[in-house]
Amino acid sequence: MPGSIRASGWGEAMARTIETVAEEIRSPSPGAMLRRRIFGHYGLVFGIAVLTIIVLIALFAPLLTSHDPYTQDLMARMKPPFWMAGHDPDHLLGTDHLGRDYLARLLYGARISLAIGAVAALISGLIGTAMGVAAGYFGGKVDLVVTFLINVRLAMPVVLVALAVVAILGGSLEVVIVVLGLLLWDRFAVVMRSSVMQVRDLEYVNAAKAIGCSVPRIVLSEIMPNVLNNLIVVATLEMAHAILLEAALSFLGLGVQPPTPSWGLMISEGKQMMLFEPWLIAIPGVALFILVLAINLLGDGLRDVTAPENRG
Amino acid sequence: MKTRLLVGSVAAVLAFSGSNALADKANDTLNVAFTKELESVDSYFNSAREGVIFQRSVWDGLLYLNQETGEYEGNLATSWQWVDDTTLELKLREGVKFHNGEEFDADDVVYTVNFVAKPENGVVVQRNVNWMKEAVKVDKYTVRIITNGPFPAAFEYLAGPVSIYPNEYYAEAGPAGMALKPVGTGPYQVESVEPGKHFVLKRYEGYHDSPKGAASIGTVDIRTIPDVNTQLAELFSGGLDFIWGVPADQAEKIAAMGRFTVANESTMRIGYLELDAAGRSGDHPITKAKVRQAIAHAIDRQAIVDSLLKGKSKVVHSACFPTQFGCEQDVTTYDYDPEKAKALLAEAGYPDGFSVDFYAYRDRPYAEAMLSYLAKVGIQANLKYLQYSALRDMRFKGETSMSFQTWGSYSVNDASAITSQFFKHGAEDFARDDEVLAWLNAADTSVDPAVRKENYSEALKKIADQAYWVPLFSYNSNYVFTQDAEFTPTPDEVVRFFQVSWKQ
Repeated sequence: MPGSIRASGWGEAMARTIETVAEEIRSPSPGAMLRRRIFGHYGLVFGIAVLTIIVLIALFAPLLTSHDPYTQDLMARMKPPFWMAGHDPDHLLGTDHLGRDYLARLLYGARISLAIGAVAALISGLIGTAMGVAAGYFGGKVDLVVTFLINVRLAMPVVLVALAVVAILGGSLEVVIVVLGLLLWDRFAVVMRSSVMQVRDLEYVNAAKAIGCSVPRIVLSEIMPNVLNNLIVVATLEMAHAILLEAALSFLGLGVQPPTPSWGLMISEGKQMMLFEPWLIAIPGVALFILVLAINLLGDGLRDVTAPENRG
Repeated sequence: MKTRLLVGSVAAVLAFSGSNALADKANDTLNVAFTKELESVDSYFNSAREGVIFQRSVWDGLLYLNQETGEYEGNLATSWQWVDDTTLELKLREGVKFHNGEEFDADDVVYTVNFVAKPENGVVVQRNVNWMKEAVKVDKYTVRIITNGPFPAAFEYLAGPVSIYPNEYYAEAGPAGMALKPVGTGPYQVESVEPGKHFVLKRYEGYHDSPKGAASIGTVDIRTIPDVNTQLAELFSGGLDFIWGVPADQAEKIAAMGRFTVANESTMRIGYLELDAAGRSGDHPITKAKVRQAIAHAIDRQAIVDSLLKGKSKVVHSACFPTQFGCEQDVTTYDYDPEKAKALLAEAGYPDGFSVDFYAYRDRPYAEAMLSYLAKVGIQANLKYLQYSALRDMRFKGETSMSFQTWGSYSVNDASAITSQFFKHGAEDFARDDEVLAWLNAADTSVDPAVRKENYSEALKKIADQAYWVPLFSYNSNYVFTQDAEFTPTPDEVVRFFQVSWKQ
C-alpha cells in the first residue's frame, strides 16, 4: 500500500512492536499448539484413525460377526466374497479352504497381529531401552559392552535366526512373540544410547547430580522424559516390523499354528489357490498393508510433531 | 470373470517373456515338469517319485507288472521259477542291446545284483535290494538270484525298483558316471542331463520286444519346477504339456476351463493317524483302546474325502492299500459318530476330553479339518507341523503320541510293504503287539499265498479292533495335459512316458 511506504520509521517500529506483543498475547498454550500440530499432520491423523479402528475391531470382533473363526464347513469351501458372482450373503468375505468364515478370521486375526506387535515391541523395548540408557548414561566400559552386544545382534539376520529358533522350538503364538521380542531390541538400544548421551551432560542433569539425586531418579525423572519421544517413534516402527515378521513366519509355516487365525497364515493358506482365487490372499494382504501403513504413519507423525525443530 | 483375467494375464506375460522351447505335437516333444529336484538320476541313488518315473523310462527290470491284468510278464527275462525257497532261476531275453550298443546277457544281471546287494555300495532305499544275497551266472542267458531267506514278494521288486545296468559301462562309470550319462535298455535313452534341473529323453529306436511297448513320442523334455502355481502358469502359456500331482481344487478349475485334459487316478498312498498305543511317549489317554476307537469315530473321513481329496480317493479301514496282496478288507470299521465317540471317551474316563499334541508334516488342510472334528468331541489337539525329516526323527525316538502320516508303499502291491513296515516292533511301531508281530513274521516268510493271506488277515483284524492306527483315506493324483496327448494314468503313480502318445 502506498500509505505504509510513506509511513515514518517511528510509526513502523511501533506498529511492529504492538503486533509482536499482540501475537504473544494471542499465542495459544503449548497444549493447544501440540493439538494444532497433530491435527495439521494428515499422516498422523490417518494413522491414529485407522489404528484406532483396527484396535476397536480386534476388541469387539465377537460383536461384529456372528460366525466363529474356527467352525469349519467342508461343504461350503471357498465361497467368493460379496463383490463376486456366486457369493453367499451369509459370508460377506466368503469362506476359506475349510469353509470357515473369512470375515470372522480376518477380524479375529487382527487380535493376533496387534498382540504380537504390541507385546514383541514391549519386550524388545524394555531390553533395548535398559541397555541403551545404561550405555548412554554410564559410558565407558558399560558402553563398550552394550555396543559389542548391539554389534553381535546386528550381525545376525533376524528372519533366519527367528526361522531357526521357531523350527527347533515349534511354532506357537507365545514362541513367536518371545523370539521377536528378543530379536528386535537393537534399534531401541542404538537410539536410546545416543539420545541419552546427548542429554546426560546438560545443566539440569548436572544440577540433579549436584543435589545428590540417586541414579534411578536422575534416569527416570530427568533423562527419560526428554528422550521419550524417540522411544515412542522406535516403538511404533518395531511394532510394524514385528507384525510383518510374524506374517512372514506364519507364511512359511513356522509362525502361529493353525487353526489360530493369523493374517500371515491366511495368506499362506490361500497361496496355493493364487491363480484361481486371488481374493484369498488379497483380503488378508490388504488388511496387513493397511495396519502396517497406519502404524508407520503414526510413528512418522509422532516424530514430526514432537521433534524440537517443529515445536515453533 | 476376474479369475480368468488374472490367469490370462499371467499366461500372457509368460508367453512374451518365457523361453518357450516350442513345445508341442508339431515337433514331437512332450514338455514335462518334475516337482522335486532329483539328487541323482541313477535309480538306486535317489528315493524320489520322480526317480522312479525316470527309471521306468530309461531302464528295464527282469519282469514287468501288467497294470491292466495284474500279471507278471517277462521283460528282460522270458521265464522264471523258484528252484527252492531262496533260489530263483531266470532265462534271459536274447538279442537285447543297451543304449550304448553293449549286449545284454547274464553278466549284466550278475554284476548289477551283486553291486546293489552289497550294503557298502550305499543304495539309498535298502529295502528295495537287501532281500537279494547275490546272483550267479549259469550260462550266457540263464541266471540265478539267491535271496536272504524266503522272500515271496520278490517278483514285485524285480518288476519294480530292480533295474538292470550294463556291466562294462557301470564298472567303468560307476554311480557318478551313470548319473550324468545314464545307459539302460529302456524305451527312452537319455540325451542330456543337467543334474537336478533339466533332462532330455529321446525315443530308443532299437528297443526290444518288451511288454512295456516302444515309445511313441520322440522327445520328452523334463524341467524341474517346484511350485505348482508356476507349473500351471507355464501350462497355460504352452511351455509345458504334461504335469501331475495338481491339487484337487486347481484341477477342478482347469477342467472347467476346457483347454486341457484332466485325468484322475488313485495312488497307492494312504493317510493314517499313528496312535501311540504302547505308551512310548509316556502315559497318556491314547494308550487306552476306547480312546483310540473314539478318535476313529470322531473324524468324518468321508466328508474329508468328498470335499478335500476328491477324485478317486476312498476311505480306507484296513492298515494297507486295498489292492495290496493280503490287505484284508473284512475288518472292524468305525463310522463317523461323534456321540459314540463322546460315550467311548466317557467310558474310558475322559468325559470332558483331553489335550494332546497332533503332529503332521504334509497336507495341512487335512490335518486342520481333523483337528476341528476332534475338537467337536472334546479332544483338544494342538497341531505341531514339522518337516518330514524332523518328525521322522521324533517318531523314531518314540516322542509322538499322535501323528498324521502317509505311506506310499513304494508302489509295491503287497501288504508286506506297509503293514510289515510298521508293526514289526521297529522304530516306527507304536503298537508293539507281539501277536501281530508273530502273524506278520509268518506271512512275510511263507511262500504259500494262502498262508500269507491268512496271517495278514489276522494281523490286520487285530490292528483294526485295537485301533492301533486310524486308517483315513487313499490319495489320488490329478494329471493335467494338453488335449493333443493321450494318456491313461495307473494307480501305481508311475508316469510311463512311453505310454503317452499324440492324438491322431
